[in-house]
This record gives sequence, structure tokens and C-alpha cells, in this order.
Amino acid sequence: MTTTTLEVDPDVARQRRRPSGLSRWYRGGGIHAVLFAIPVVLIFLYFSWGPVVRGLVLSLQKTNLVQPAKWVGWSNFEYVLSDPGLGQAALNTAYFALLALVIGFPVPIFLAVLINELRKHDGLYNALAYLPAIIPPVAAILLWKFFYDPAPEGMFNTMLGWIGLGPYPWLNSEAMAMPSIVLYATWAGAGSTAIIYLAALGSVQTELYEAAEIDGAGIWRRVWHITIPQLRGVILVMMLLQLIGTFQIFTEPFLFTGGGPNNATQTILLKIYNYAFVNGDFGAATALSVLLALFLGLLSVVYYFVTKRWSPS
Amino acid sequence: MRKLSLRLATAVGMTGTLVALAACSSGGGDGGGSSPDGLDAKAKVSITVGDYPTADKPEERAAFDKRVDEFEAANPNITVKPVAETWDAQTFQAKLAGGTLPTVMGVSLTYSHELIANGQVPDMTPYLEELDMVKDLNPLALDKVKDADGKIYAIPTGLFSVGLAYNREIFAKAGLDPDKPPTTWDEVREDAKIIHDKVPGVAGYAQLTTNNTGGWMLTTMTYSKGGAVQDDAGKKAVMGDATVESLQALHDMRWTDDSMGSQFLYDQEAARQSFAAGKIGMILQAPDIYFTIVTQYHFDKTKFGETALPQSNGENGTLTGGTLKLFNVKATPNQLLAATKWIKFYEFDKYYDKDVAIADAKTNDASGSPVGLPSLPPVSDEVNARYLEWIKPYINVPLENFTGYTSSKLPLIPEPVTGTQQTYAALDPVVQKVLTDKNVDIQKTVDDANKTVDGIIAQASR
Repeated sequence: MTTTTLEVDPDVARQRRRPSGLSRWYRGGGIHAVLFAIPVVLIFLYFSWGPVVRGLVLSLQKTNLVQPAKWVGWSNFEYVLSDPGLGQAALNTAYFALLALVIGFPVPIFLAVLINELRKHDGLYNALAYLPAIIPPVAAILLWKFFYDPAPEGMFNTMLGWIGLGPYPWLNSEAMAMPSIVLYATWAGAGSTAIIYLAALGSVQTELYEAAEIDGAGIWRRVWHITIPQLRGVILVMMLLQLIGTFQIFTEPFLFTGGGPNNATQTILLKIYNYAFVNGDFGAATALSVLLALFLGLLSVVYYFVTKRWSPS
Repeated sequence: MRKLSLRLATAVGMTGTLVALAACSSGGGDGGGSSPDGLDAKAKVSITVGDYPTADKPEERAAFDKRVDEFEAANPNITVKPVAETWDAQTFQAKLAGGTLPTVMGVSLTYSHELIANGQVPDMTPYLEELDMVKDLNPLALDKVKDADGKIYAIPTGLFSVGLAYNREIFAKAGLDPDKPPTTWDEVREDAKIIHDKVPGVAGYAQLTTNNTGGWMLTTMTYSKGGAVQDDAGKKAVMGDATVESLQALHDMRWTDDSMGSQFLYDQEAARQSFAAGKIGMILQAPDIYFTIVTQYHFDKTKFGETALPQSNGENGTLTGGTLKLFNVKATPNQLLAATKWIKFYEFDKYYDKDVAIADAKTNDASGSPVGLPSLPPVSDEVNARYLEWIKPYINVPLENFTGYTSSKLPLIPEPVTGTQQTYAALDPVVQKVLTDKNVDIQKTVDDANKTVDGIIAQASR
């Protein structure tokens, strides 16, 4: 009995050991894998990359999408780059990003650490911190517009009046409009970012805290020497996401000020929107979008190399 | 093996579906040309019409439905499907480009030049001639929807000219005579100052500044002082002394008199809300503000006043605009003819048929909508006078509060020709700057604005 298994026809054995690549691939279900993958890849190409490619094409055309498109070369790019408002829109966007970084970035970390330190009711505080994120932005912004009422009887002005400040013009002043928008954006965005930090905080090894506590480290030293370094990876990713997000700021200036006063809150994305949907100039809108995408791509690469050294991995 | 074939079948099925979907999306672009070849007035045709009253206005909606039934009874081959689509500057361009607009709907007249130049509207001349409508239309308005060859591309309706809306109660409180509103810009400034001094918490005069309305109203002010924003052909920006003076007038009221309140980011809607809330003494508005504040915000109509646009440097004129009935460029000739019949039936029959006029007025009165609100008629003056006589018993608008506006003989000046909305958008920040920056260099701001508008003209006329 045992010998029969040993004396297998050598050709068959060779075939079994080394079946041809294609048939092995087929027998292993390769064709099914491809057939299953095709819809996904096609969907991805059509819906994800399709618009990107179409956008690139549009940026080189003059079209109103009714009449046949006309190739215009780089003229859309020339137009948007020579738009006298572009410089200011770029500066405003960068200014917003900077303010959001300085004001808005530390707040959720602080919130998360604070909630994490609470021994009781942390779920409740968690929910309270997250609450602004569930209010639809349009409703929240309309509400904040009331808060920012420039009249002395406006809500913020009344409250500041109690301590002898104001009344301030808020959104009606070139200098104050952008910080006012950042203040709102921080309020609206801090909760959801804090949730992510909280989740990351859960993975911080508690023995480190215990050890530090035994060594007599206070809360600030524990946060500075244990929490922040342990969160480094998340912080770096969140910072990149925030940077990209702030460069795409649209809803807030659109609803709060429409880009005013005197273009003080005109951002790149608002400009793109106006080109496309107010002016019906889809070529100019896509040209500026392409430029923004290139810039953000470049920013991400630079960011990656700059922060590579700091990242924990 | 069975399992294997099932997997295979599923995968093939999914791929097939996707390919079919992709094929569907790329098909069906050709919706018939604008040439009326093969026009058949008797063929069965279905059209969609916009501006259907929303569900919160049941009386208006029922009246609309009734009109649709009457129309369908008179034209058995036409099916009318009303949709609540209305013009909105923020979404219009996308819907126009996407071809999702109804067969016909109302759109701001500002777009006429642009739409015609871009080939986004069908040539309607054959249909209007077919229905013998051309002679009935207000010739002044008709000029705005024609090209250089005299072809007509839309039907103008709902025409207006900008005037000065004011709150009669605030005037009385300030000791001003509500029956003698200001007629010059100097008087506007004086009255605004008096209102500011005597009625606390009220802006004597307010100005629209955002969502293109700032440029719209700066253009209006420029006209009232004898200037222009673009030359007649729309080839060049020509803002000069009149624009500088307009901005200077605003600057004086804002910074010297402090008579413009504290809110300087008004768009049409926000300004109307504030006006209805009694926080604004005077503001540049066409009479259609009456419709919004009375029906939507329940403003006491006896407190409302409207007078002609204040002037300086002589009698110069006021800006006109309106609505145009926009026909879908992708509609078939039969649909276009049916839609034209509908507009004739819905918008113009009341001017020629006494029973329709009275029924229309009765429904509007019953639903609390204004009847007899002053506007520029889409028909000739004689026809309009006859119509007003018919509906006289149902007029519910206090016409005596509009005498300054209705008795005005100011010349009517059309809006800037090229890239109208872009031009307005470019002028918004100019007005905002004057109202938020005390040390603004007005002359330089205007010079810069001319350059920006020249850039817009160059881009639009590529």
C-alpha cells in the first residue's frame, strides 16, 4: 500500500508540483478576484478619478456646458493668476489657517486631556464637548450671526458690555471678521477632534502615569512628558488634516460674510465657488482648483518630509 | 464547483450592470435643436413649468393648479407639469449647465445678454410670431432680450425700476413728513441724520453690500448721479466722478453722520428682514420689497412708503431690471411652442381677458398676496391701464404710499451689459470698504475697480 503512493507517475507529479502559472492562478480563483475587483476599480476610476481628470480638462477649456467646449490653452490659468483679488484670497486663506492653528489646534487637545483626567461623568462631558459638532453648520452659523450682532444690544456685545468692553463690530470690521470666523470654527470643530484625541489617549500606557505619579510629577508634567509624546503620531496626522481642511475653508465665510467686508474673508475656495456658480465660468473655477490641489499636494509632501523626523514610527 | 459558478455569475453580473450604467450616463445628450423644423402644433407634448407656488401657500397653489387644468382643457395635446423650481443666483448656473431647468421658468433679467451671447437660450422668435405675441410685449423690455439681429430669446415680465423704500412710521417719529420723502441725495443724508438723532436704534439709511447686491446698488447710485459702470457696448469700465460721489455720500453718512447703523453686511434678504423689523429708515429697493415684507414678515402695509430714486447733478435716471421667462435650450420645438402658449395663457391673458384678470386678482387678495403692486408692465401702457381698471375693486396695496414712485418720469437705464453679475460681485467689496474703513482712498478704490471690471470684460468676451 505504501509503495503505491511513492510510485506515482513522475510526469503527473511534476505537473502537480509545478502547474503552469496561469492555470494555477485560475484554479486559485484568480479570475473571480479580477471579476470582483473590476466593478470596484471601475467605480473608483469613474467616480473618484473621473471628476479629477474632467476637472483638468475643463481647466483648459471655455465652456458653459451647453455649447461645445472650446480649447483655450492656459488662458484660464492666466486669468485667475492675474485676478487682482487672488493675492488677497491666498493671504486670507493662509491667515485663516494660521489663526486656526494657533487658536483652534490646541483647544481639542486640551479638551481631550481634561476630559480624560476626569474620574466621574466623563461620558457626559464627552457628549457636551461633542454637541456643537452635531448642529448643522448652516443653523449654527445663523445662530452665531446673531451672537455677532454689531449693535450694542447684540449678544456678545451685551455680555462684553457687562465688563466694560465694546461694542465691537465683529464681522463688520476687516480686522475682526477673520478672527470671529476662526472663533466659530474652533467652537464647531473642537468636539469632534477631541473625540479622536480621547480615543488615542485610551491607548496611552497607564503604568507610565502611575510611575510618574510615584516620582511626584504633577498633572502638567504628566501631560507634557507622557501624554503629548504618546499622542505625537495622532497630533501630526490631525495637524496635516487640519491644514488641508483650513485651506479648503468655504462654508463659514460664505454664510457669515460672503467674503466681505472688503474681501477680508474672501478665501480661495469661495473664489472658486464664485467663478463657477455666480459667474458661470467653469474654466476659471477648475483652473484655480487645479492650482489649489497642486499646492495642497506640495504642502503634504513638504509636511511629510519635515515631520518625518518627529514621527514615532 | 457550484459555489464557484455562483461567484463567477455574481461578479459578471456586477461588472455588466456597471458597464450598462456607464453606457446610460454617456447617452442621451441630443435633445433636439433650436430650429423649429418639424414643428407640429397638434403633436402630443409634455412640458415642465417652474415657479409653482410652494406647499405653504395652498391657495396660490390651488389657483395655479386650476390654471393648469384650464390650459390643458383648452390645449388637449399639451401636458403641463408644474415644479417649484425658482431662480436662485447661487444654483442657477449649475442647473443651467446641467440642463435640469424646467422647460420654462422666471430668471433675473440680468442674465439676458450673457445667456444670449453664450447660446444658452433658444431663439424664440418663430414661436412668438406663430402666436402673434410680439406686438403685445412692452417694446422697451423686449429690447433687453434681443440680439443684434433682432431675434428674440425670452419673454420679459415682472419689470421694475429701483426706488427708495422708507418706513413712514419712522419718518413720523423723527418729525419728518412721510408724504414728502427725499428726492435728492443731499436730502437723503439730511433725513438719515435726523432719523439717527431722533429715533434710537434705527439706521437712517442702509445699503445693500453683499451677494452682488452691493455692486447692483452702487451701479444704481452711479446712474442717479449721471454716471455709468460700463460703456454702452459693455467693452470698457467707465466708473468716474459719479461713482466716486456715490461712495463719498455713503462715506459721509457712515463716518461723519454715523446715520447708517452698525450692520454693513446686508444682502437683499437680511436687509428686508431688518426693514420689516423697523430698524431701517430708508433703503434703495424696487417695490417688490413690499411683497416680501408684507406677506412673509407681516409688516404693517400702511407704514410702507416707496418713492422715486433720489437724484443729484440733475435728473439722470434709475436702473431697471426684471424677470425673463427663460426657455430651456435643450427643449424640442414642440415643447418650446407649448411653453410659449403656456406663458401667453398664464402671464398675458389677464391683460386681455377681463374675467381672467378679476379671477386672478380675487385669488391673490384671498391669499393675502398684494394686488395692484406698482411695477413696469410687460405690456403696453394702454393695455396695462385697462387691466388696472378691471382689477380696481380688488387692489389691496395702499397706492397712495407709492405716489413718489408711480408719478416718477425718470429715464430707465439698463444694467451693465457684459458679465453683469460678475461686475456687481467685483463692486461689493468697494462698497464694503467705504463702510468699514474710515481712511479709504475712494478715488484709488474706484480706479482699481475699473481695472477689475476691465479684466472681467476681457474674460467674458474671449
